Amino acid sequence: MQENYLAKWLNNELTDAELEAFKKSDEYASYKKIATVSSSLETPEFDIEKAFAENKLARKTTKGKVVKLNPSKIFTRIAAAIVLFIAGAYFFMNTNEHVETALAQTELITLPDASEVVLNADSQMDYSIKNWDQKRHLTLNGEAYFKVAKGKKFTVETSSGTIQVLGTQFNVTNRPNYFKVTCFEGLVSVTYKNKTLKLPAGTSFLVLNDKIIPTEAPKTDKPSWITNESTFTSIPLNFVLAELERQYNVTISSSSINTNTLFTGTFTNKNIDSALKSICVPNNITYTLEGNKVILHAKNAE
Amino acid sequence: MDTPKQNVCEEQVYNELFKTNSKTVFNYLYYKYGNEEKAYDVVQEAFIKLWENCKKVAPEKAKSFVYTVANNLYLNVLKAEKVRFKHAKETLEVTHESPEFLLEEKQFKLKLEQALSDLPENQRSTFLLNRIDGKKYKEIAELEGVSVKAIEKRMHLALKSLREKIDGI
Repeated sequence: MQENYLAKWLNNELTDAELEAFKKSDEYASYKKIATVSSSLETPEFDIEKAFAENKLARKTTKGKVVKLNPSKIFTRIAAAIVLFIAGAYFFMNTNEHVETALAQTELITLPDASEVVLNADSQMDYSIKNWDQKRHLTLNGEAYFKVAKGKKFTVETSSGTIQVLGTQFNVTNRPNYFKVTCFEGLVSVTYKNKTLKLPAGTSFLVLNDKIIPTEAPKTDKPSWITNESTFTSIPLNFVLAELERQYNVTISSSSINTNTLFTGTFTNKNIDSALKSICVPNNITYTLEGNKVILHAKNAE
Repeated sequence: MDTPKQNVCEEQVYNELFKTNSKTVFNYLYYKYGNEEKAYDVVQEAFIKLWENCKKVAPEKAKSFVYTVANNLYLNVLKAEKVRFKHAKETLEVTHESPEFLLEEKQFKLKLEQALSDLPENQRSTFLLNRIDGKKYKEIAELEGVSVKAIEKRMHLALKSLREKIDGI
């Protein structure tokens, strides 16, 4: 008899001879009965339709789970965690300060060592309060007046040049094609195009359109704009008008006049009408003011 | 996942799989562990697992996936619990057999049930899948993940020990 002949028998795989022999054995009757009765046994009820309905319901409620496995969600979470971490690190570690003034606005900033900076209109200043006492360094774009407390070297970096002092009062103007440093007290060291020169109290250093211009000493002990006046000495009119635009937040149309005319004088930063008069009357110019637009015309020589 | 039509994630494919296999899976678990309610819950859970993993399971592998998952799930539920095989009540069919014969039949059935519950799980589930569900050896071998020869061996041993138990050897 072959291996597992009982299994073969149930599967009708026995040879005729084998089957004959098996049928003659004593156990055959028992096996036959077991086979018959076992296949008539009943299993518990299983309602496929009912089970399927339940399955459908369960699948709907587990849909959320499927979505969770979505890799883009995981990516979003990782991204969110990174952003959070960077933002946190930025706030903890960033000690850089940025001060900016709008047109027609000035601002007084007190630095960590009690040095004072007055920022004129439309100017930006950046500095780091970290280790300020060791390294007094700031960058400036625009115009500012400094009252520097005594201490370590104090550096003002501008796009035109670098100013270094130990403790003085000075004014820096860094406008397009216009760079001016005026020292009111102590000694200021100005580095312009790799040349350093010392500026004693009561002197100015002026660069117009990349040319160093000899200039008069200031007559005051602080810049005039601190007292809401803008003063110019032999400065081309276009720089004067640019300052007027900054102080009053206006746009000036000056195409019909010669803006290279040198201007010496002062205009107030409080009243645009009198400021315009201060500039226009001595230069034989008429002006019209509409809203925040100023149009200048040369007076006809009639 | 070869073509969209053959994707288990497709409602139709999945529904077909459920309708053709759920009852057998249920019976399989029942033969093995003898607990109707647990078997039912595990069947449901196993098919939900198939749905959740529908992208990863090829349709031709879905059936054995369900059996494997169901078995594992059941083993998790079961662990130390010892479940005795108990069979469903026999149906009271109207027969013209003599009372003596009926009594004898009834006693035989009881003996058979007792002998079945004493069988190892594997032999019992294999034997009953063949006898009751009419599954071919090859099919049982596939879902159990063994060779046809191993199934034949189980059938042979199951039949042998059933007879020995019943005949009181």
